[in-house]
Amino acid sequence: MSYLIGLLLLLIAFLWQLTLEGFQRKVTARVQRRVGPPWYQTFIDIFKAFSKSSISHGFIYDFGVIMALGGTMATVIFMPFAGIVAFDGLDTFFVIIYLLAIGSLGMAMSAVGSGNPWASIGVMRALTQMLGYELPFMIVVFGMIHVYGTSSISAIAEMQAGGFLDWHLFRMPLGAIVAFISVMGMLAKKPYDTPIAPAEIASGPLVEYGGKHIGMLMLQHEFAVFIEVGLFVHLFLGGGGIVAYIIKYAAVYLFATIISAVLGRFKVEQVVFNYYKVPLILAIIQTAIVIFTGLGVKIWL
Amino acid sequence: MALNNIIIQGLLSSLIVFFLTKFNKKVGGFFTIIFSGYLFFSLISYQNSAGEVFDLIKFGDFDISFITSNYAWFFSMVLLLTYFLVSFFNPFWMKKLINPAAYNLLFMLSMVGTLGVFYAKDFLTMFIFFEIIVWASLFIIPMGKSRKSPVIYYTISSIGSFSMLYAIFYLYNTFNTFDIETISSAVISNPNDYIFVFFLMIMAGLTKLGIFPFHTWLPAAHGSAPHTFSPVLSGGLVKVGGFIAFVVTAVIPSFNLFADHMQIMGVPFENYLIMVLGGISIVVGTLMAIKQDDAKKLIAYSTVSNSGYILIGIAMVNQVGFAGGLMHIFNHAMASGAMFLAFAGVAYRTGTTKMSELGGLIKRMPLSFAAYLIAIISLAGIPPMSGFASKWMIFQGLVSEGQMFLAVAAFFGSVGSFMYVFRPLSAAFLGQLSPKHKNVKEVPFLMQIPLIAMSLLTIFFGVFPGAMLEYISKIQQSLGIDGIRIEGTKIYANTGMWDSLVVTLVFGLGFVVAAIFFFMSQKAKKVDQMDTYTSAEFIHDPDMYHYGKKYYASFEESYGNKKRVEILFDAIAMRVHEFGSMVKSWFFGKSISVSLFWITLFFALIYFWGDIV
Repeated sequence: MSYLIGLLLLLIAFLWQLTLEGFQRKVTARVQRRVGPPWYQTFIDIFKAFSKSSISHGFIYDFGVIMALGGTMATVIFMPFAGIVAFDGLDTFFVIIYLLAIGSLGMAMSAVGSGNPWASIGVMRALTQMLGYELPFMIVVFGMIHVYGTSSISAIAEMQAGGFLDWHLFRMPLGAIVAFISVMGMLAKKPYDTPIAPAEIASGPLVEYGGKHIGMLMLQHEFAVFIEVGLFVHLFLGGGGIVAYIIKYAAVYLFATIISAVLGRFKVEQVVFNYYKVPLILAIIQTAIVIFTGLGVKIWL
Repeated sequence: MALNNIIIQGLLSSLIVFFLTKFNKKVGGFFTIIFSGYLFFSLISYQNSAGEVFDLIKFGDFDISFITSNYAWFFSMVLLLTYFLVSFFNPFWMKKLINPAAYNLLFMLSMVGTLGVFYAKDFLTMFIFFEIIVWASLFIIPMGKSRKSPVIYYTISSIGSFSMLYAIFYLYNTFNTFDIETISSAVISNPNDYIFVFFLMIMAGLTKLGIFPFHTWLPAAHGSAPHTFSPVLSGGLVKVGGFIAFVVTAVIPSFNLFADHMQIMGVPFENYLIMVLGGISIVVGTLMAIKQDDAKKLIAYSTVSNSGYILIGIAMVNQVGFAGGLMHIFNHAMASGAMFLAFAGVAYRTGTTKMSELGGLIKRMPLSFAAYLIAIISLAGIPPMSGFASKWMIFQGLVSEGQMFLAVAAFFGSVGSFMYVFRPLSAAFLGQLSPKHKNVKEVPFLMQIPLIAMSLLTIFFGVFPGAMLEYISKIQQSLGIDGIRIEGTKIYANTGMWDSLVVTLVFGLGFVVAAIFFFMSQKAKKVDQMDTYTSAEFIHDPDMYHYGKKYYASFEESYGNKKRVEILFDAIAMRVHEFGSMVKSWFFGKSISVSLFWITLFFALIYFWGDIV
C-alpha cells in the first residue's frame, strides 16, 4: 500500500512541478518584458527529449543518469505532500537530505564520466556550493528538531497548525530568511546558478547530454525542486491541506523566481563566503535562541 | 582455544613468517594471509565470553594477563578483519619492499599488539602491547616513500605513550594496582584525582586517533607508508586510539565520575573538551583533505575527520550517539580500508597515487572503481551504505542533547566529505584515460578478494545494521548505558527512526522505474572519450583535456596553504634542537675527560638523590 502511495506521490510531483515550472518560465519572461512560452512547455520539452536520439560515453555515463533519477524519485516517495505520507515515520529530515545526495552523486558521476572538463568544473562548483548552502540550513533545522523532539517533517509541519502566526516564518524569522536563501542555492537559482552557468562553462554538468539522458536529468531536476521547495513549505509555512499547500508552494517558488530574474551570478568562492558570512551566523543565532531561551517555541504570543 | 595461546601463536607466527620470507618472498607473503586469517577465525568463538582471565607471564607481584569482554571482542574483530583482508595484498608487494621479511614480521607483530591492547586485564599489559604496535609500525613506515615521516610519527606517538605511562604510574601510586576493573571501581570515591589521569590517558588515544593538534602524523605516515600498510594504519591502528578513548570515557564511567563538575551544554567540561577537539579535527581534516593531490594523503586527512566523529560519538557516552561512534569504527575501517586498497591497486598497476597523473581508470579497472565508489558512499554517509547508519546515530545523539556547536562541525564535515571523496573518483577513475595508461589491467584476482569483501560488508551492514547494533547494544548494557533500540531493520532514536530495508527497497524501486524510462527509449549511440563538446576547438591530447589538477582551486585558495600546526611543531623542534646543541657545547666538549666527568656526576647525583635531599 505504501509503495502505491509512493507512486501516486511521484505522479503528483510530476504533474504539479512541471506545470509550475511552465508558469515560472512565464513569470520570468514577464519580468524581463517578454511573452514567454505556454505553461505546458516543460511537458513538451521532456517528451521531445525522450523521443530524440542520444549519445553515450560508456557505462558510468548511463548508469549515473539512472541512479540520479532513481535516487531522486526515491526521495520524492519519502517527501510528504500536503499531509500524504507514504512511509509513516520515515519522512525525517536527515533521510531526505541524504537520500537527495544519491541523486546528486549519480548525476555528478555521470557528468564527469563523459570526460568533458566543463562537466568536471560544473560538478566541482556544485559540490563547493553545496558546502555553502547545506550548513546554515541544517543548523536551523537542527534547532527545530531539538526542541520538538522529532525530525519527521510532517510532524514539524503539524506543530505549526493554527493561524498563520504559528508558522515558523514568524516564530523563527531569522531561520526562515536563512532557509530561504539556502533554498535559493539548492534550486541553483540566480545569483546561485554558478554550477550550471551557461555562458561561462557551457551549462556545466549538462554539457554533454542530449536525448533521453537530458530528458531524465530534466525530470531529476524537477523532482529535486519539488523536494527542496516542499521542505521549506513544510518546515516554515506549516504544510497544510492540498489547496493551502499548493498555494504556499507556488508562492515560495515564484518568489524565488522573481528574485532570480533580476540578479546576476556569483563566483563560486563568493557563494561559499556569502553563505558563511551572514546566513551561517544568523542560523547559529536563531538556533541558540531556540535552544537556550525557547523563544518562538515555548514562549510565543 | 585459550586466548593466551592464540596470542603466543601470533607472536610465534610472526617469527615463522620472518624466516619463511627469508627463504622465499612469495611464500612468506602468502603465510601472512594464512596466519592472520587463522587468528581472525580462532577469535570468533569469544563472542559471548566475558570475564575469563588468561595469564601470559607472571613476575613477582605483576603479571601480563588478559581478560575477555564483549567490547574487546568487537574491537579485535574489526582490527583482525582489516588485517586479514589487507594481507591479501601482501604477496604482491614482496618484490617492491626493501626488506620484505622484516615487513611481514612487523605486520604480524603489530596485529598481535592490537589483540594485547584490547584484551589487557591491566594498564601495564595494555601499555606494553601499545608500545609493540607503535614500534612495529614505526619500522614499517620508512619502508615506503619518506624517511622523515616516521620521525613525526614517533615524536607524536611518544607524547601519547609517555603521558599514558605517567598516568599508569600515577594510578599505581594512588591505588596500588594496575588492574583496570579495580581502578574503575576505586576512582569513584575520589573523582578529582581522576581528572588528571583522564587527560593524560586520553592523550594517548588522541595521538593515535590523529585528533587535532596531533593530526599531523596521519598524512605524513599514511601518505608515505608502503601502500599495503596504509589501510592497516588508517582502518586499523587508528582505532586503537579509539579503544583507549573508549576505556577512559566509558569503561571507567567518566560521566558518573564528573557528574558534579562544571557542566558545559549539559556535559561535564572534561568530556566536552574532548568532544570539542573532535569537532575541530572534523573541520581541519575536511578542509585539508579537500586540497590534497595525493590520494593517500587525502584519505589520511579524511581519517582525521572521521576520527573526530568517532571521538565525539564515544565521548558522548549516551544511548544513540555512543552506539553510532562504535559502529562508525567498523564502517570507517571498511571504507577507508577499501579506499586505500583501491589506490594500492592503482599504484600497483600505474605506479602513482597522484590524482593529477591519473584519469579514466574506470575503463581499465572497473572493480577497483566499484569498490572505491561503495566505500565513498559509505564514508560520505549516504544511504543505503553502512556509513549512513552510524553518522545518522551520531547526528541523532547531537540533536537530542542540543549540542549545536558540535553539530556545526559535524554537518560541515559531512557536507565537506562529499567534496573530498568525489575528487579521487573524478580525477583518477573518471574523466579522460591517459594514453600512457592504455594497457593498464584490473588488479589480480587475489587483490580483488578484499575489495569485494569490504564492499559486501559495507552493503550488508548498511541494509541490516541491526546485525551489528544488537551486539553494540549488549556492550552498552554491560557498561551501564541504555542499549540502542532496534527492531529488525529499524533503529530508534529520540527524534525519529531509520529503516534501512524500506529505504533500500524504495531506492531500488526508484532505480527500476528510472531504468525502465531509460531502456524504453531509443538506444544511445556509443562515442569515443574524446568525442565531446570542445567549444568548437580541436583538442588532440587526452592528458591536457583531463580536469584533475587543483580540483577545487577557487575554494582551496580562499583558505590558504598555511599549515599552522606544522609550523608550531617545527618551531618547537627547532628550540629542542637548539637546546640540545647548547647542552652538547657546554658539557660535551672536545675533551673526553670533561664529558666523562659530567656523566659520572649526573649518575652520582641520581644515585644519591634520596640521601642528599
